[in-house]
Amino acid sequence: MNQMTGIKTLADLKKKQEEVRARINLRDKAENPESLVQVKVAMATCGIASGAKEVMEFFVEELDKRSIDAVVTQTGCMGYCFAEPTVEITLPGREPVVFGYVNPAKADEIIECYIKDGELVDGIIPQNYDTI
Amino acid sequence: MIDLAMHMMDIVQNAIRAGAGRIGIYFVESNEKTMLLFRVTDDGSGMSEAGLEKVDDPFFTTRTTRRVGLGVPFLKMTCEQAGGFLKVLSAEGRGTTIEAVYRTDHPDCLPLGDIAGYLTLLLKANPAISFRFLYKLDESEFSLDSEALKAEGIALQQAEMLTTVRQYIRENLQALQRDRSAESYLC
Repeated sequence: MNQMTGIKTLADLKKKQEEVRARINLRDKAENPESLVQVKVAMATCGIASGAKEVMEFFVEELDKRSIDAVVTQTGCMGYCFAEPTVEITLPGREPVVFGYVNPAKADEIIECYIKDGELVDGIIPQNYDTI
Repeated sequence: MIDLAMHMMDIVQNAIRAGAGRIGIYFVESNEKTMLLFRVTDDGSGMSEAGLEKVDDPFFTTRTTRRVGLGVPFLKMTCEQAGGFLKVLSAEGRGTTIEAVYRTDHPDCLPLGDIAGYLTLLLKANPAISFRFLYKLDESEFSLDSEALKAEGIALQQAEMLTTVRQYIRENLQALQRDRSAESYLC
């Protein structure tokens, strides 16, 4: 069908709506990363050797399956090589929290408890304790 | 690092840290020469001559989070174990090319590993970087260009597309590898 033709049926309308919705979702994601859950998987030599890939794949696939809007990216070494794979999670409006020794089972717990409910789980690396 | 896919992720991570906008990943395999060339090129910050001299020194790193840098030394180790060699070309402000050659007739040649899995993660996690991937085996090749994927409207933001792209790469690589000589230790 010619793109220049207008919206003639309910189906056209629906199609247009879907197009727009898809576009808005993508734009929102790109422009407001602060409003999303950010997941950074440490992917340097130490992380890779400890299985960071499986953890990253788990986050990418499961966050999507569980309909959580999140940006999953990779980062370099955060200096906690002893605790790899490490993952830094930033909930909107919160300080980042780093979890160590993450495997798919731990990642599942992090998604269910911390990302969904904001409840802290075991395995946090105290990197940003403020001192007075 | 137990396979080449891990090295690929590791070396590409270096390129990302160097602020690269374009990254090329090449695997060139020759049945006749019984060799595999693995090359990563980037247009990142590059290295100074002093830095380049120390590139295979495990106690040299530019990062501040730890005092060792094992990525390149490991790559050098695995390719030399397989009778190959490592070459690094770099110029400050112009980027870096790193090449590792493996002898595929050497029993210590590393397996390829999950190249498709790592590559899709790279594409997904770094949408701003343009990746070009090429796997060549003698005359046949498979290439993938992240810009071409974008132009086709393929959005890796959706996990479903991610799985599809991974499958696409995996199947193409498997098809290529049917041409591999039975003498090769690469798998």
